[in-house]
Amino acid sequence: MRETWHLVTYLWRAERRSQHGLVGLALFAIATTYAAYQVVRGRPDPTTWNALAWVMLLFTAFNGVSRTLEEDRPQVLAYLKTAVNPVHYLIARTLHNSAVLAGLACLLTALMGLLMGWGTLEGPRLWGFLVGMALTALALGATLTLIALIAARAGAGFGMTAVLGLPLVLPVVLVSTSLGSDLMQGVLVADTWHNFAFLGALAAGSGTLGVVLFPYLWRA
Amino acid sequence: MSMPQSPFSPSLGVRLIRTFGVLLLGYALVMTFTVPLGPGIVDVRVSPGGDVGRRTTFKLDIEGHNTHFSESTPVVFLKRGEHFVVIRDLEATDDQHLAGQVILDKFVPALSWDVFINSPVDGTMSFANGFFAQGLTANTKAKSPDNDAVLNRLSQADLGFHFPFQPNIMETIRNLMLHVPMWFTMFLLMGISFAQSIRSLGAAGTAEHDMKALASVKTGMWFGALGLLTGSLWAKFTWGAWWVDDPQLNGAFVTVMVYAGYLVLRSSVQDEVLRTRLSAVYNLFGFCLLVVLLMVLPRFTESLHPGKGGNPAFSSYDLDSALRAVFYPAVLGWMILGAWMYDKTLHLERMRAALAVSRLQRATKAGLPFLLLTTSTWSEPFVNHGKMGVVVGVAVIIGLGLGLWSLVHTRQARALNQEMERHS
Repeated sequence: MRETWHLVTYLWRAERRSQHGLVGLALFAIATTYAAYQVVRGRPDPTTWNALAWVMLLFTAFNGVSRTLEEDRPQVLAYLKTAVNPVHYLIARTLHNSAVLAGLACLLTALMGLLMGWGTLEGPRLWGFLVGMALTALALGATLTLIALIAARAGAGFGMTAVLGLPLVLPVVLVSTSLGSDLMQGVLVADTWHNFAFLGALAAGSGTLGVVLFPYLWRA
Repeated sequence: MSMPQSPFSPSLGVRLIRTFGVLLLGYALVMTFTVPLGPGIVDVRVSPGGDVGRRTTFKLDIEGHNTHFSESTPVVFLKRGEHFVVIRDLEATDDQHLAGQVILDKFVPALSWDVFINSPVDGTMSFANGFFAQGLTANTKAKSPDNDAVLNRLSQADLGFHFPFQPNIMETIRNLMLHVPMWFTMFLLMGISFAQSIRSLGAAGTAEHDMKALASVKTGMWFGALGLLTGSLWAKFTWGAWWVDDPQLNGAFVTVMVYAGYLVLRSSVQDEVLRTRLSAVYNLFGFCLLVVLLMVLPRFTESLHPGKGGNPAFSSYDLDSALRAVFYPAVLGWMILGAWMYDKTLHLERMRAALAVSRLQRATKAGLPFLLLTTSTWSEPFVNHGKMGVVVGVAVIIGLGLGLWSLVHTRQARALNQEMERHS
């Protein structure tokens, strides 16, 4: 537990030390939102709003997860392999990625609200949407972290993460888009709770799978 | 250099199983194409004739499939709840076409009626909502034109061994024995790959397990691609589109994508140990998520596809005994064929390993004939004769696919054998 927490703070410090990391991602999110705003010109209908929000989150997530930190140098990794438990490393990495993705998701939602309005989201349903975004970020983080680590071990970058990851995040995308469209159509948060449960279960499931499988990657 | 064991000298048990599989497949294919389809109504066209005072005449043109209208004039009646209307002045132009007419009052108990045809040769056939009384007024108090006395005139028919007729699906029900086993076989092969990937990660894992996982994914991809292509053709002529948005279809497409990703990942890693690890981890992770995608999520969504969601079309009540008698042997036969192809592919992988050749393998891509021609002239051969053309098309696709597989397989085997001889 302490080691995991220590690793999370270590990754966070590594993140802060790199000049372009987070700022670059935020700029990517802002630019994407603005481009979408330019295309729809004004207030899109709820279906378009929902589709735009999740597609942008998905692409931002791929960018966020597959970037390499300066601390991912082979020498540093070789040291870490001798020093830390692989499960702790994976959990720390997943938490770190999920936190970054959740932050980006909030940024995206806020920007979309500023530029294109909230659609029909208001009050508890807006909060429900944000919670859904955060859960999606967690589920995407859990799935994509392992995939990005596989792609990194294969010596390939963003392209490989996309090829391997896109089909696998489809369950998450299906559930989160149906959650989003439910909330957009005015369904109460209490009546679409099963989608929250699904997202949580997907996050927990892929997290557990990752924990079981990651030590094999680490050892090789 | 030690020559890997040839696949042509298998043990007696394996040989028996393969013979059994080929026999099953032969039986299933012969049955698929020769068992007759039960008679049914393809279409009912209603044209309002002239008004005679307060009464309206409707002319009915009925098109049947595998029917025998000219052998004995059938009984035709409309039914809605407790109400009956008998169609009179029946005239059969040939075995498939029947014309008749009915005279109705301005007020009828219902506007939309189910059409029933009964004859001693064909038994009873029905066409839901086949008759719509255009221009009349529905009134629940209206007198029923006829009563259930017509039911006493019905006769039973002995149709013999036949596949059930279903509206719209018609002859294409035969595809059950061709398209569906493609997916069953693919899942069997992906299951083998899953098991071998687990073993390759274990303490006793060897390159052999990795090779088995790869060979079964490669073979499974062929069945996946054939499943997509045949399903696409079948969908075009039953659902009206090459591809529809449907959880089951999404799942099938994503499955093929995941394993294409597996092959791409393998081809990008040169180091053997690392490749085994990476691809095994990805295979296990992917397979588990596919189970969620294919088995869990579709149950919570509406689906057009049989067997899932709200449309259990091929479940217990329509998968009748005739279909079962052919479907189960077909599935087993295709699976044994798949296992045989896997074994042959594995032999090639062993030769590759023995030669220590690492070649870049292109991932198999499943091409989908999206948005082809939409004119009606080219599609006529498919639609005529109860859509029998779709079954032939599906069989041709599978035949071409398997032919292509054996062509590719033979070429690879020849190249590897030549290289083997040069080395030894």
